[in-house]
Amino acid sequence: MRIQTLATIALLPGAGFAQIPNPGFMAPDTVFEAPGVPAPDQVNATDVLFAQLNAAGGLAEVALGELAADRAQSPAVADFARRMIDDHGAANDALAALATERDIALPDALNTGHQAMLARLEAVEDADFDLAYMRAQVITHQKAALLLMGAADRQNAGLIQFATATLPVVLDHLHMAQDIVADLALAQVAGMPEAPE
Amino acid sequence: MSRMLTAGMCSVLAVATLPLTGTSDPLPPTTTYRPLPTMPFSEAMAIDEAQKPQVMERQRAMLETRYDLSDRPMGVLMSGGRKQVQEGVRVLPPEGMTWADLAAMSPQDIRDNDLLPDGFKPLPHVKQTTGGQVFPQVQIDAIAAQEQRDLERFDVDFDLPDHLIPEFPPPIFLTTQPHLGDVSRGELLTIANHYEIMNGLITPVQMEGLRLLLTPFPQEEFNQTEDRKVVGPSRGVACLDCHSNFNSNAGFHQSPDMRPQAARFRLDSPSLRGLFNQQIHGSKRSLRSIEDFTEFEQHTAYFNGDHVSAARKGQHIPDRSHKVAMMAQMQNIIDFPPAPKLDPMGRLVAELASEQELLGEDIFMGKGLCAECHIPTQSFMDHQMHDLKLERFYTPGETVNDMVLLPDGPIKTFTLRGIKDTPPYLHDGRLMTLADTVEFFNLVLQTDLTQAEKDALVAYMLTL
Repeated sequence: MRIQTLATIALLPGAGFAQIPNPGFMAPDTVFEAPGVPAPDQVNATDVLFAQLNAAGGLAEVALGELAADRAQSPAVADFARRMIDDHGAANDALAALATERDIALPDALNTGHQAMLARLEAVEDADFDLAYMRAQVITHQKAALLLMGAADRQNAGLIQFATATLPVVLDHLHMAQDIVADLALAQVAGMPEAPE
Repeated sequence: MSRMLTAGMCSVLAVATLPLTGTSDPLPPTTTYRPLPTMPFSEAMAIDEAQKPQVMERQRAMLETRYDLSDRPMGVLMSGGRKQVQEGVRVLPPEGMTWADLAAMSPQDIRDNDLLPDGFKPLPHVKQTTGGQVFPQVQIDAIAAQEQRDLERFDVDFDLPDHLIPEFPPPIFLTTQPHLGDVSRGELLTIANHYEIMNGLITPVQMEGLRLLLTPFPQEEFNQTEDRKVVGPSRGVACLDCHSNFNSNAGFHQSPDMRPQAARFRLDSPSLRGLFNQQIHGSKRSLRSIEDFTEFEQHTAYFNGDHVSAARKGQHIPDRSHKVAMMAQMQNIIDFPPAPKLDPMGRLVAELASEQELLGEDIFMGKGLCAECHIPTQSFMDHQMHDLKLERFYTPGETVNDMVLLPDGPIKTFTLRGIKDTPPYLHDGRLMTLADTVEFFNLVLQTDLTQAEKDALVAYMLTL
């Protein structure tokens, strides 16, 4: 399987039968375009929650990326931060387009949790910044991956396709972040003065 | 440790322990918990029935791109003499490549060129979003005839052809009655017939354990609520509905031990033969006794890892000292099928074995690395979980039939005693034949076996 860039995800073919759901968990007012086939553009509460949480995470990735691109001490972290700005910026645009078509209101500002995360990182000393940012990135991408795997009761075909296509990219980000954290932690230990005998 | 180093470590720890997610929003609850049904049952059933042809067609198409599912018996019978073992490698290699080509490549090259055969990747449940227990038609028919109990789902059918699953009904061998051989009389043990078949063979304690193992209790898809996948309100399922005659009928489910739903791997029912020697139970859970496993599965309405949903559908919490102990004692007298060519140490008796079988044992113990985990004196297990790290060969994260392909992580070593009786193979049943398992491990362990060595390994495994 080739990993796509997030920028290409918006160009995926249109909605189809993205996931065959458990009908027991569908809303009683679900509209069907054929027997057993729900009209693909319907949105249920889980879809809305998914879109909003994803959008909130995406906004935070760009904001954190901008902070990190500015403050990163190592080139690897600066590169990673720029990639987050590009990849999540593109994904945010794609998700926003999907949401607009479906009348889902998405957040347009950081939520309190992400604001707090940003404030804490802003307060970190320069020497500690890279590791603090990258460790936070591991957590945000772990959570994003679980969110993208989603719940069995989500329904909207376009949003499910978005999630399916985005998941491998987010897992790729996660593994990159873990590798960078490992390198930074090692470099930090290596840079410490030797303990006297 | 110096003071400077200590101070440095403190600053690292301080950064590491910042509560970066403590105030952020949790994931949707349905990533862990099962939602309550919202659609009226009759409507949900009608939708499921309408979806079923597409569900089965999607699964058939996926299976056919992965496997050669043809009926090619190899002239060797399973232990009960009711079905032939199937021959040949059934996983399809990548277009234009041979198994030897693939074995010559590094894991990285296979991964980068997307060349791992799809049949080596995790096998999706027939309907990933719903999941749950799915029984083969032979089991459904036998239970309907004997107990008038319905195991047929309206949303999915069993997906593998009958010739690729174990013989039915399987023979039963008791550790307490080795002189009798198969005591099943060629019948499927049920709540209706078990007393007549087993009276005189087992103790009162074992009989009570057997009765409980055959008693249906509510299950996630077979219960009396609207959240079920069987037409009428159901009495549920019994332990031996999947472990037919204490072997397996290849009925499958999803791992109870993972969430979200899309990440749950398929679970092929294991045989219960030889449990008396098995020290860990459950492919992921490593429960330390059969008592723990038996007791706990009843808490969660069988294998969904969800005591919350089970509580709504009807939990059976068996008393540990009175019921669980008896169920365990019954399970612990189920023997492996006879292996007349093996000596007491689990090694081939040279005079009884063919040259090819002896070569196979040689490969098994050496170059093939099989006996590193499948230890002959330990009933061909090692009571460990191992991570084969299959993700060295492919990029996880792809979604196939609504299942996200992810690394398997550590999985329990299964016994190889009686292995010809329990296709398909691996925890999720992704490998159809013993020849498939040889190609899989030849690649995963990079053992570089010749064709003669591979054939010898299959011949050897048929003697176990």
